[in-house]
Amino acid sequence: MLPSPLDPAIVPSGPREAIDGHRVLARAVGFGRALRRAGLAVDLSSEIDFARALGIVDIGDRELVRAAGAAVFTRRRDDRPVYDRVFDQYWRRRALKPNLDGPGTEHRPEATAADEGTPQDAPLPGDERSDLPEDRQGMPIPTDGEADEDEIAPDTVTISPDAYSRSETIRHRDFDRMTAQELRDAERLVDLLEPKLELRRTRRYELHRHGRRLASRQMFRRNLATGGEVLEWVWRRPVRRPRPLVVLCDISGSMERHSRLLLRFIQALSASSAVKTESFVFGTRLTRVTRLLKDRNRDRALAKVADAVTDWAGGTRIGESFRDFNHKWARRTLRTSGVVIVVSDGWDRGDPRLVELETARLRRNCHRLVWLNPLAGTPGYQPLAAGMRAAFPYVDDFLAAGTVASLERLGEILAGGRGADPRRGSEAAAHVAPSPDAVRTFEPPVRVTREPRDPFAAQPLDGRAAGTQ
Amino acid sequence: MPHTLASTDAITEAFRERGYIADRSIATAVFLGLQLGRPLLLEGEAGVGKTELAKVLASSLGTRLIRLQCYEGLDVNTAVYEWNYPRQMLEIRLLEARGQADHATAHDIFGAEFLIKRPLLQALEAGSDGEPPVLLIDEIDRADEEFEAYLLEILSDFQVTVPEIGTIKAERPPRVILTSNRTREVHDALKRRCLYHWIDYPSAAKEFEIVQARVPGAPEQLARAVVAFVHRLREADLTKVPGIAETLDWAAALMALGAAELTPELVDETLGVVLKYEEDIRQVRGETVKSYLAEVAAGG
Repeated sequence: MLPSPLDPAIVPSGPREAIDGHRVLARAVGFGRALRRAGLAVDLSSEIDFARALGIVDIGDRELVRAAGAAVFTRRRDDRPVYDRVFDQYWRRRALKPNLDGPGTEHRPEATAADEGTPQDAPLPGDERSDLPEDRQGMPIPTDGEADEDEIAPDTVTISPDAYSRSETIRHRDFDRMTAQELRDAERLVDLLEPKLELRRTRRYELHRHGRRLASRQMFRRNLATGGEVLEWVWRRPVRRPRPLVVLCDISGSMERHSRLLLRFIQALSASSAVKTESFVFGTRLTRVTRLLKDRNRDRALAKVADAVTDWAGGTRIGESFRDFNHKWARRTLRTSGVVIVVSDGWDRGDPRLVELETARLRRNCHRLVWLNPLAGTPGYQPLAAGMRAAFPYVDDFLAAGTVASLERLGEILAGGRGADPRRGSEAAAHVAPSPDAVRTFEPPVRVTREPRDPFAAQPLDGRAAGTQ
Repeated sequence: MPHTLASTDAITEAFRERGYIADRSIATAVFLGLQLGRPLLLEGEAGVGKTELAKVLASSLGTRLIRLQCYEGLDVNTAVYEWNYPRQMLEIRLLEARGQADHATAHDIFGAEFLIKRPLLQALEAGSDGEPPVLLIDEIDRADEEFEAYLLEILSDFQVTVPEIGTIKAERPPRVILTSNRTREVHDALKRRCLYHWIDYPSAAKEFEIVQARVPGAPEQLARAVVAFVHRLREADLTKVPGIAETLDWAAALMALGAAELTPELVDETLGVVLKYEEDIRQVRGETVKSYLAEVAAGG
């Protein structure tokens, strides 16, 4: 659609005479390209919009140009810091205001028609960092040593960047080189899982012969042909969809042996279109990896995750990570009451009371809280680690994880509750907000029972899960 | 008086007259939306004035505001148009009773008088007589993907096809404002058609202006204290920090109580106006309130 700038109610204004349209377009496209390099999703139409915007705002006003570009190029809040950074770089060297300091005294060949404005500012091609006011006085600020930062991944949201950075063990895992066998395992798991996912009734309806509600609209419509005599009854029923999944995966040191398989599993889950999956990893901090895992090249996706996460194999702060999730992501990812899967061994360095408080809150925000614990497959395991103990009363399903055999059981758990009461076990506990200062007495956790034949089998605590199908 | 809104300054001015204090980046986004004929997608925390902006825009342009509140399961029948089936049935019966049923044609029962126009269709048609309306599609994140996909079509062509009548096209497309609370990510395809603006919490100085504009008669000292306190709360680690709407409610509530300044007791009693989660209130009430008030007094 071609918009109507000729709208009589809106009279364009601004000093435009002096500006060559072709040049403006070239700059807009150049700027768009710079943004794209930095990772924003910029397309040609937004570049054209920006060129048009430059024609109608006062381009002598830097902040106005910045705001105009932000409206056109950014699509989410997280884009904004990246945008601002690129804007500062790009429009510094190529200041748009014509003839600010008199005619240009110097023309670099590589900066085609775009550098008329700030003659003193003639940095080397790689040196684009100096600040505008200083430019004007001919005193470019030296680069501040962050030059490598250009290749940042805007998809990554590190949520609490300053927390615990001193004590954090920063290490990269080489889990992105996974064997073909492991890969197949992860995919097979998801295939097994998909048809079993718990369904949620949506508010949309479809016509169905065995529906329970009258589809009055369609019925009237069809029966108009017979002059309004109701000859045909039409029924409808709600459309059902799998509940969205949110996976919070522990990647701390104690989980090191399991994180490869689990991440592959999460990745395969994200790649499937049947269910919406949001994924986060946490050690000492929470990192959202949903978008990173969307990469079609699976190895590259995992490599990106490895780069994005800085707390590999460090300590664990379950409480803080959960709190970050509850504050910043719960509303955005659990709106339609999803299923939360926590993968962690429950070894936690932080305050168990915080773990308890935040797990309780997490439980109230979701439809069902599943905890996969790699240690739970060990004979005689009891959730005694401080973090696990604190979180335990709020967990709906507590299972072993870490091996393919045990993950296969996850499907059965996720499918549970169809028909039967979906909230089992800890419902009462979850709805009582624990007061942080009350001293809680823990009852000895229920023993995880095992089937004698399958050492890896996951068992729900109350032993009812398998029977609810 | 309707404005021409011919520049960002004109927009800021027109909005200010209507009690909406817009910073330049919002004004620029609105200005570009009008000039380029693009929908404007506003995101921000709850209570920062997204919906209000659409209302003020409509009033500034001297035009109608047509609002579509989104929810899960919103469909074409409730968003665009629907045939008034009961009335059609009645019409058929009437035709029969008058013995005209044999001569009746489809036009007799699929005429405009049987069409119930929902907000989107109203918005497309309203532009034909005079100023195009402002169409507010509120909380698009609450609608499901199916509706979003449908909206894509409308926002690119500004036309709707009713099979029995034909295509209805907006002579002058409405000015579209979409809002989202980010309870989920709006699809990229829809975002691509829109200009985007994230509305942040305002600075203390700006929020003070807003309080003055919206709660006229609030004592200056009280208004400053309220704003400073709310700003302190926004830094705290709360489940839901207060938005501008809460600031305004609070200032109004305190005025109704005849308060001239903030005291710890007064804050404790009225905390429910500002904080909406029980655990937040429990966390702040008492000592924390006192220490915040001391900070605020020291800072101001």
